[in-house]
Amino acid sequence: MTTATPTPGPTSASVPAAPVEHSVLNVPPRPRGRWKPWVAAAVVLVITIITFSPQWGVAFSFDAIARNWQNGAGKIAQLLVPDWSFFPRTLAPLLETLQMAVIATAVGALISLPLSLWAARLTNPHPLVRGIVRTILNVIRAVPELLYAAILVAMVGVGALPGIIALVLFNVGIIVKLVSEAIESNDAGPLEAARAAGGTGAQVNRAAALPDVWPAFANQSLYVLELNVRASTVLGLVGAGGLGLLIDAVRTFYRYDQLSLIILEILVVVVAIDVVSSSIRKRLV
Amino acid sequence: MSIPAPSAAAGAITPAAASWAISMRDLTVRYGNGVTALKNVSLDIAAGEMVSVVGLSGSGKSSLIRTINGLVPVTSGSLTVGDRDLATTRGRDLRALRGGIGMIFQSFNLAGRASVLDNVLVGRLAHTPTWRTLLGLHHASDKQLAFEALESVGILGKCWDRASSLSGGQQQRVAIARALTQQPHLMLADEPVASLDPPTAHAVMNDLRRINRTLGITVITNVHLMDLARTYTTRMIGLRAGEVVYDGPAASATDADFEAIYGRSIAPEDVLGE
Repeated sequence: MTTATPTPGPTSASVPAAPVEHSVLNVPPRPRGRWKPWVAAAVVLVITIITFSPQWGVAFSFDAIARNWQNGAGKIAQLLVPDWSFFPRTLAPLLETLQMAVIATAVGALISLPLSLWAARLTNPHPLVRGIVRTILNVIRAVPELLYAAILVAMVGVGALPGIIALVLFNVGIIVKLVSEAIESNDAGPLEAARAAGGTGAQVNRAAALPDVWPAFANQSLYVLELNVRASTVLGLVGAGGLGLLIDAVRTFYRYDQLSLIILEILVVVVAIDVVSSSIRKRLV
Repeated sequence: MSIPAPSAAAGAITPAAASWAISMRDLTVRYGNGVTALKNVSLDIAAGEMVSVVGLSGSGKSSLIRTINGLVPVTSGSLTVGDRDLATTRGRDLRALRGGIGMIFQSFNLAGRASVLDNVLVGRLAHTPTWRTLLGLHHASDKQLAFEALESVGILGKCWDRASSLSGGQQQRVAIARALTQQPHLMLADEPVASLDPPTAHAVMNDLRRINRTLGITVITNVHLMDLARTYTTRMIGLRAGEVVYDGPAASATDADFEAIYGRSIAPEDVLGE
């Protein structure tokens, strides 16, 4: 392109490389430690076998299945014929389940947004505050939502309220963990620029960090909505509202035909929510 | 009254007051990991000067720039910017000082998903109460300043676009507009053109020179390219291993001067070209 200057430069690059004779190539030695995955697999196998063994493991026996299979077969036969006439009675609890899921997602997301910023190093440079927030959230996350619901039913009574509170706690634990981790991988540059312009910590987070946090936040909130629809169906088992109360009732009366209708409804709702939320998430660029 | 001429270069934005001078006495900056970035640097930069800081990477030029607005703390010695001593300025005073100092960066440092306008309004943070920022309520006068700044760098038409959708050169202009919106007394630039192609790099350096000439704002810019330092700045400070090894006029700096600063012979990559 430019004027051809006879520079003694990279001549070999322009000439097609001469066929390399099968000379001694300096291949570096293979890294050691390739046995490690095999040892890991063997350890997993041994642990699995031990947990099956009668002395140390869970009391698992195939003969129990063999003895009781007719029982199970009868139940499955019942489950295969849903009692469609039961449908009207399931509508109100189903709606309550959905309401619980939506309310809990909204409240949980609202609480999670500032907590996520406080839990991430990038947006909260104070190690002490960050440590306190993270510790509290670890504790919140350690307790399963069904246990929260059971305790809250004792505290605030039977109904949707304990279920919603349990779900909110469950959601805050998840959203803050996932969003704060996403924040850590964000670019620190915009925050430095906002700090250099004289912003306070809160201003820097709001003006420079938050715009890049929205996708992760919206994404995880939708994910949590999916989880809530699933979780809210069983919270009623401990008296915390929704379909679970009905499940508990029909199960007590061995109405497996009615139970199968409820399961079908849950399936439809969960799949519908999954489809809607994943199509929204795909649009979040 | 003061309707800005639409194409007047940087004419719409006026500095809030006189531009600031900088004075350093035995300034030393040491990082927590024990690395000494600046060793006993003593410099006086007068108000309205256009200064380039030249040196290899790791020579301390980035630390020098960042110490001036307190992004890097002073370890010992004194540093006066305007009428403030950086060694003792903290909290609210430090933020007010930073509000008077515009800064642009090698990687532009824009919030990619925010609009160009929102990015430029970051320049008003020091003049905005926190609650307003949190609610996203901007003063009309601040927006006016932002629009004027965008107009002065020629990308007002992009103000509603997402910052990440702009090219590198346009993003650096947004960053310049953000700094101008601060109505700065001093402008710092940390390798402002190192991520840009040659024509865009010249355009951005031109913007900086124009800000210096038409607004009289002190400009200090890091560059590692000899021709940019010579062409666009009037004074050049050479740093090597944290010490000032050259301080003089930029235009007449010889290749030998650069070789002394770099501690090696001049290579083709030290010049940007056209």
